[in-house]
Amino acid sequence: MKRHNPTLALGAIVVLVLSSVASLAQQTLDRTKVPPPGPSPVLRVPTWTKTQLSDGAMLIVSERHNLPLISFTITFLGGANQFEPEAKRGVASLTTSMLTEGTTTRTGDQLSDALQLLGTNLSANIGAEEGSFGFVSTTKNFEPTLDLVEDMMLNSTFPADALERLRGRTLVNLTQAKDQPTVVGAQVFAKVLYGSAHPYGQRATEASIKAITRDDIVAFQKAYFQPGRAIITVVGDTTAATAKAVIEKGLHAWARAGDKPSFDYPKLPELQPAKIYLVDKPGAAQSVFNIGLPGPPRNTPDFFAIQVMNTILGGQFQSRLNANLREQKGYSYGANSGFGFGKGPGAFRAGGSIVSAKTDAALIEFMKELKGIEGDRPVTDEELQTAKDNLIQGLPARFASVTAISASITNLAVQNLPDDYYQNYAKNISAVTKDDLLRVAKKYIDLNHLAIVIVGDRSLVEGPLKATNIAPIMILDVDGNPVAAGASGATNR
Amino acid sequence: MTSKRSSLSLVALLLTVLFLQPAYGQNASATAIKIPFETFKLPNGLTFILSVDKTTPTVTVDVWYHVGSKNEIAGRTGFAHLFEHVMFTGSGHVPYGLHDKLTEGVGGNNNGSTTNDRTNYFENIPSNYLESTLWMEADRMGFLLDTLDLAKINAQRDVVKNERRQSYDNQPYGRVIEIFAAAMFPKGHPYSWPVIGSMTDLSAASEEDVKAFFRLYYAPNNSTIAIVGDFDPAQAKAWITKYFGDLPQGKPVERPNVAPAKLDGNKRLVYEDRVQVPRLYIQWPSVGTKNDDDTALSVMSSILTGSRTARLTKALVYDSQLASQVFAFQNGSEDVGQFQLIVVPRPEHTLTEIEDAVDQVLRKFISEGPTAEEVQRAKAGLELGFLRGLESNLGKADQLLDGAVFHGDPGFFSTDYQKTLAVSAADVKRVAAQYLAGNRIVLSVVPKGKKDQASKATDSEVVSMLLSGPQGGR
Repeated sequence: MKRHNPTLALGAIVVLVLSSVASLAQQTLDRTKVPPPGPSPVLRVPTWTKTQLSDGAMLIVSERHNLPLISFTITFLGGANQFEPEAKRGVASLTTSMLTEGTTTRTGDQLSDALQLLGTNLSANIGAEEGSFGFVSTTKNFEPTLDLVEDMMLNSTFPADALERLRGRTLVNLTQAKDQPTVVGAQVFAKVLYGSAHPYGQRATEASIKAITRDDIVAFQKAYFQPGRAIITVVGDTTAATAKAVIEKGLHAWARAGDKPSFDYPKLPELQPAKIYLVDKPGAAQSVFNIGLPGPPRNTPDFFAIQVMNTILGGQFQSRLNANLREQKGYSYGANSGFGFGKGPGAFRAGGSIVSAKTDAALIEFMKELKGIEGDRPVTDEELQTAKDNLIQGLPARFASVTAISASITNLAVQNLPDDYYQNYAKNISAVTKDDLLRVAKKYIDLNHLAIVIVGDRSLVEGPLKATNIAPIMILDVDGNPVAAGASGATNR
Repeated sequence: MTSKRSSLSLVALLLTVLFLQPAYGQNASATAIKIPFETFKLPNGLTFILSVDKTTPTVTVDVWYHVGSKNEIAGRTGFAHLFEHVMFTGSGHVPYGLHDKLTEGVGGNNNGSTTNDRTNYFENIPSNYLESTLWMEADRMGFLLDTLDLAKINAQRDVVKNERRQSYDNQPYGRVIEIFAAAMFPKGHPYSWPVIGSMTDLSAASEEDVKAFFRLYYAPNNSTIAIVGDFDPAQAKAWITKYFGDLPQGKPVERPNVAPAKLDGNKRLVYEDRVQVPRLYIQWPSVGTKNDDDTALSVMSSILTGSRTARLTKALVYDSQLASQVFAFQNGSEDVGQFQLIVVPRPEHTLTEIEDAVDQVLRKFISEGPTAEEVQRAKAGLELGFLRGLESNLGKADQLLDGAVFHGDPGFFSTDYQKTLAVSAADVKRVAAQYLAGNRIVLSVVPKGKKDQASKATDSEVVSMLLSGPQGGR
């Protein structure tokens, strides 16, 4: 057992004694014997076809006929980071909301009622580096739903009064987000790591939302929703030929335009020596931790080694961070870690919500585990095997529904990964060695330059954090701006 | 619902509500609504539901025990959920950690959840790990107490207290659930406390409490297990008999006698929270899922807030723009239910204005009822929602088990579906008058020190009388 807790080691002895008693009582069945697994099921990766539509968009179709369902998604390469000016952050998401507000032939109410009668919910979202617009429908309602989607994408009228309503709602959401310690933690963490000049450190603010005009929305729509950067993914109860014919017909008015965006990001701000950034939340029951620094992009050759390393450190329930901070110490409901793989330097982040009284003790344990994965506590054979099995044998779940299949296939196109990526996944994960794990842990978790962002009750946690001597403390407000020495950090009362 | 591993944030909850909003037409029955299944019962009273679907080489084992927070006694609230955590600490022949290794560690996952009415445990695993999963579930059903000690209980007690802090105390508006539970039901009523329980009660649970609870409720005769996915039923039955067959039957379980939710008068409450945006919450006593009105109430929630043209949404969010968001839903438990409304105001408008506007819409709705078209639209999404549910082994397992445990029929989903399709405008008009015109609880959640922001503040009672600060219990 990999446990270090003496109490639990004693428990293990009790297990052995009791289990032998139980097996005596049961003669025929030896319950101590772990039933071995059956032969591994063959991995069935869905197949798909790729074609270019006449407007330049790429069409991917994967057939699946077990249920009368079809998933349809248009994905656009590039997102808010590529298409939003800094002063107009939030224009992408306002534009997607505006698509449902009316077209040249339908009012917002008519669109809503028509969709509801078809039983379909649209999802539209523009994220940091890609955007998508799509739905899942029954087979028989695919064409009428697609007709509505095309109408919204090509013929939206963007009524000015709708913009004011959506702006009001967005401002309320921004205010509510400031009361959410986990949201504040994530936002301040991004600002500390990347600074305001880097798109990764920017987000919609009250000022940027207030600055957006209807002209901005119209301009964004024109610039963004272009077939030249679109990937249309159809998965489910249809055929490649039918899907192509239906989509070509529906999108015939979509003029060939738009290039794939470049993902060049400005230089990162210089790394700072490790520091604790404390955001005061008077009365908070827990301290929300985000510890990390900018990491590698998705296309790093170290991707598979990082996946395995992070699975051991904080990627699953039985990972080191959760086993220690939750299961052994009871400081938290859960602790974890991850890499924000994107086109740019997505963050490595470890964190969790920690009971206020154990904020200092938890920081010591976080640091111990980070040092551990960098060599203080070598990875065992069992840890390595379990992590690899978790990743490799978890593949079928990526193909368990039409939306899961769509996301898995689309991701290959978005990230420029080969079509046989999933077939070779097991081979690539299996090839990772313990030396690889140590190398990537040391390379990407730079302990001397960690940003330690903690959102909690300053009056309770500042003294104990200082006493750990792990790093100097800087007080920030909920927007991530420094608070003058001696001033209260509370800015949101 | 409260879970072992992950919690739904409010945002996720709201998204779920939105996603579940029904939408599509009467020709829905064109697609057969069915989940093929067979049942298999052992002499010790343990029932299995088997449903084969070989689409994906995975299988789900979903174990329901018919015990939840309503089976707790006063002074030991939160116990059923604390126990759920204890069930993951190892059992007679399964050392701590092996459960995760044989699920998550082989590419699957596991979790448990507790509601007022039941507790479940599930594993989603590659299909070749079915036998070891059944072995582990049988072991904690039959041999949990062999290795249980106070150290294990205390470790999970700390985790659960942190779950409470994370999901309730440190969440804006996170204490609304327990405020309503205490206000809706008389003291001592089985639904009058929240599933997560109070800090004081969580501290009070003794080792003997845990053991007695297990002996009473975690017996084969109080459990139903679904196996759904890629497996061979004959082989599964052999393993079931092998691992569960000799577990002893427990004593018959006494179900609590639950009085329906009933308010003798209207209640107006105000709670000060660490928030900047106030919210208005209204709840009416309604019915549980065993009552036929449950389906009409669900359809009504969609007509009120399920789409842009829904009554309350259109009036509050689009026309008058008093509110930024409004959600209504029927929350039916096994024995009782509440019809709930949440309104997030726009900054320039008061909760009093909002409550008056809600009442104006509801008065008209109660007197006129919905149009046939509104009812049709509200039901239009049923078929798609059902079909999407069929894509997940766990989703199917939960549907079958909900029917088996609460309605005595694993195939109840089909009855429920037909009942919902049959809901008419007259049905909705009747339930609107019967439930929405009755007594209710209005809760204003306001920023600290801003009691005057409550709806009709001078008539509202301050809730801090009922509950102490975020670190303490009641």
